[in-house]
Amino acid sequence: MKTPWLVYHGCRLVLGAVFLYAGVSKGLDVTGFAGDIAAYRILPYLGNYLLAATLPYIEIIAGALLLANRRVRPAALLCGLLTLVFIAALLSAWVRGLDISCGCFEPGAQTGIGEALLRDLALLVLAHFTFHLSNRCLPARKN
Amino acid sequence: MLSLDYSDIKRILCELVLIVALGVVVGLSANVGLLQRVLSGQGVPLLSESETAERNDSYPEPVSLQQTKQLIADKAALIVDARIGELYEQGHLPHAVSLPLSEADRRLPELQAEVAPDRPILVYCNGYGCPDSFDLAMKLIAAGYRRVLVFEGGFPEWRDAGLPIEVTESGP
Repeated sequence: MKTPWLVYHGCRLVLGAVFLYAGVSKGLDVTGFAGDIAAYRILPYLGNYLLAATLPYIEIIAGALLLANRRVRPAALLCGLLTLVFIAALLSAWVRGLDISCGCFEPGAQTGIGEALLRDLALLVLAHFTFHLSNRCLPARKN
Repeated sequence: MLSLDYSDIKRILCELVLIVALGVVVGLSANVGLLQRVLSGQGVPLLSESETAERNDSYPEPVSLQQTKQLIADKAALIVDARIGELYEQGHLPHAVSLPLSEADRRLPELQAEVAPDRPILVYCNGYGCPDSFDLAMKLIAAGYRRVLVFEGGFPEWRDAGLPIEVTESGP
């Protein structure tokens, strides 16, 4: 039966591509991304820059591993955990009535909180299937 | 159905931590210059006007205490105090004008008549956790100002650094 195999590789490739693209687009404009993080009013000045400097590279490595079909379970779990953190930040902004762009991809891009939440929920589903199906579709050494 | 034993979970978590650690190390290495400027209080170099126009920023740029000092010394930006008038009168940054967030909508046309859209504007309020400076900055950007900066440390960081403040004498 090919279905699990197709679902696994589809989820893996989409999730990996999204995280790789997100990481590269934010890593190219760290200062702009720091501004996006600052808009959430969660971290202090230095914290905004530290997160803006490191998060894109974590996303790039996780996305690249998923695309390369290596270390899939830790990479998928990391993508899922990061997405949960993003959802928590978005919800906190929504509860506080902040009208901000999510800072998900290019800094300053106009994406509303509702749209970003829906996208993050979709990413959680992709991470879930990638993690669970990898066991059936990959040899242990790649997993 | 997925079955994970303890050694699987341990290995997955160890590898996850390694991915994060590698990302942190690479990220810090790639941005060491930027972070050194931020840590030393110099902040981020201000963008040239052409770069700002190219970026078409929709958010204000955060600036540090050191940058704020420089901007005030050079008279390179209009300094705007977003706190209520009473706090402004008790003490504010040198040369700052008062524009409380609550009055912004009413007074923005007046500001637009006096201040050109290419004039840099630095907004501050009562430090970290005070959202008014950011909210006012967003209003200024929406009003067409192309270089809007926010000094997040605000009046408390300025005062605590022992820098000079101006007091406005209230009327009789």
